[in-house]
Amino acid sequence: MTRYYLPVAISALLLAFWISPNAQEIAAGVAIFLFGMLMLEDGFKLLGGGMLERLLERATRSVSRSILFGIVSTTVLQSSSLVSVITISFLSAGLISLMGGVGIIFGANIGTTTGAWLIAGLGLKVNIAAYAMPMIALSIVFVFQKSRVLRGVGYALAGLGFLFLGIHHMKEGFDAYKDQIDLLRFALPGLIGLVVYTLLGTVSTVVMQSSHATMVLILTALSAGQITYENALALAIGGNVGTTITAIIGSLSANFQGKRLALAHLVFNLTTAAVALIFIAQLRDAVDWVSATVGIDADDYALKLAVFHTIFNVLGVALMLPLMRRLVAFLERRIVEPVPDVSRPRFLNAAVDAFPETLESALRKEVLHLYENATELILHGLNLHRHEIFESANIAETVRKSRTASDLDIEERYERRVKTLYSAIVEFTTRAGDKRLPPEIAQRVYDLRDVASDIVQAVKSVKHLRKNVLRYTVRPEGAVTELYDGLRTEIARILLEIQKLEQTDPEDRSSLSLDQEHAQIEEDARSTTRHIDRLIRAGKLKPDAATSFLNDSAYAYGAMRQLIEAARRFYIERDSSMAEVERLLALEDEDFDTEPSG
Amino acid sequence: MGLKNLAEKVDEYNDRLEQGKVEKIKPDHVKKVLKKLNKKASQLESEIASAKKEEKKVRLSRKLAVAREHVARAEWLLDNIA
Repeated sequence: MTRYYLPVAISALLLAFWISPNAQEIAAGVAIFLFGMLMLEDGFKLLGGGMLERLLERATRSVSRSILFGIVSTTVLQSSSLVSVITISFLSAGLISLMGGVGIIFGANIGTTTGAWLIAGLGLKVNIAAYAMPMIALSIVFVFQKSRVLRGVGYALAGLGFLFLGIHHMKEGFDAYKDQIDLLRFALPGLIGLVVYTLLGTVSTVVMQSSHATMVLILTALSAGQITYENALALAIGGNVGTTITAIIGSLSANFQGKRLALAHLVFNLTTAAVALIFIAQLRDAVDWVSATVGIDADDYALKLAVFHTIFNVLGVALMLPLMRRLVAFLERRIVEPVPDVSRPRFLNAAVDAFPETLESALRKEVLHLYENATELILHGLNLHRHEIFESANIAETVRKSRTASDLDIEERYERRVKTLYSAIVEFTTRAGDKRLPPEIAQRVYDLRDVASDIVQAVKSVKHLRKNVLRYTVRPEGAVTELYDGLRTEIARILLEIQKLEQTDPEDRSSLSLDQEHAQIEEDARSTTRHIDRLIRAGKLKPDAATSFLNDSAYAYGAMRQLIEAARRFYIERDSSMAEVERLLALEDEDFDTEPSG
Repeated sequence: MGLKNLAEKVDEYNDRLEQGKVEKIKPDHVKKVLKKLNKKASQLESEIASAKKEEKKVRLSRKLAVAREHVARAEWLLDNIA
């Protein structure tokens, strides 16, 4: 399909230009309008700096807030497509719920109607080209500034200027047609006209990927008398259906949640369109009544179309709102959450790439995913089991009872479940480093990469232990078994403490509590060395076994320090000032060389 | 362990603050962290009181010593940060 899209689109345009030179002006107007939308999007992304993302996170705490946010954000950004794509991105990153996402999509459908009002009320009645030129000229001064905010202002201003210029050229093109071709000859009455023009509206929006552009075309053609009011209504309905295509394209790179939201968008718009087509006569009457009430002239079809667009979208939301829970249940049934493949990245996908907040959040979750895989591998490598350790009231006793060798190819498991995730994390953070992230977020992204690195180093250290764990812990062999049990117990305790930290309410959690574990490790390391000396002198430990153990204990304590460092970086306060306090209060290596006071 | 290292770290922090590399710490930030530390210390005290095995008591007492060290540092920081 995509193979033929480009040649067909270019051929159609060339043919249209050959048949009518005025088509060039209309097509150029559409192109300039779309170019303006792209610039507006870029501008808002630069200006956003995480603000829009933070708002989105807060705005989805209830359905009514989600809808309100969808209305306001789409009104401000003048692009329901951009709002849909951001919402899909947030849903994929797990920052908002599906219910919240559906609410935003509903709201965006109402917010998008403000575009019709702007175009019908302002764009067709004021010479907006007069504003477009100075806006574009001024914008370029801002675009070449170093400041991110000023560049954002520049792109947004240019975007708006090009939108105005595009509308102007489309208007000029249709005005020229007025004297040459009468498109009214192609107007179709009755049901067939409704169906054909609805389809035309859908195709037009799919091709241009903008319901706004379709709306401009409809309004300019309508004001130039090139289409009938009835056909314009059908085109507007079709335009609404076509707008779902951007969300569908955006969801292709998203996870199952993003796909559910795109389907919700499609279901909502198809249902609204069906209802609008069935009750078209009643809707038309309602438009006439509302228009007369608010003082819109009976023959001002452009403004009446804006009224129609608003009524049928608000009606759609009113109809779908009571069915929202059923819709969400349907989406969850239709697009089933895939059984997670622990060896593949679960959160890092292209959909979360675009915004700093989703990028950091997805990375954080993926690092936690890596840690879960690493925990399992570390414990299995020590012939221990996660559920037994995490549920144990006496870790030392549980370890002493664990004498069965785990059926484990540690090298293969490391490659499949740890290294693949680590590679994906490194690749993702490198890609993120190429983006111009706010410094605070960039620092946290690099810290998360270091957390992943510490986790991987800890697993590698445990890999070294595996041989002698198999040799000395599957049956009691006296002092050497007790020594290895000691190491296994200490590593298991660290993992348990990190698990407790994860489960602690963030309001009570402090990464400083890891210093307590660090102090314990250093004390254990010192006492183990003293204990080995005593065992060798007493003849209870052969020198070769002692040498192996000393090497292995270095790996084991290394793994413990790496795990603690990883957890410290991961659980440090997100607020940069609070994080700085924790860094100041944290104990340093030399503080652990002596017994704690108190 | 002692407050000497902390004083040196605060001096380094002040240098970085002057260079605009770090955010300003306000007393409220320290108070929030101090609240968490005090809570953790109380929690450890009650765990020690209910621990039956001597080995566990020793382990928990060592943790408590670190927690108290953090509290002392945080109080010192609160007095010296304003």
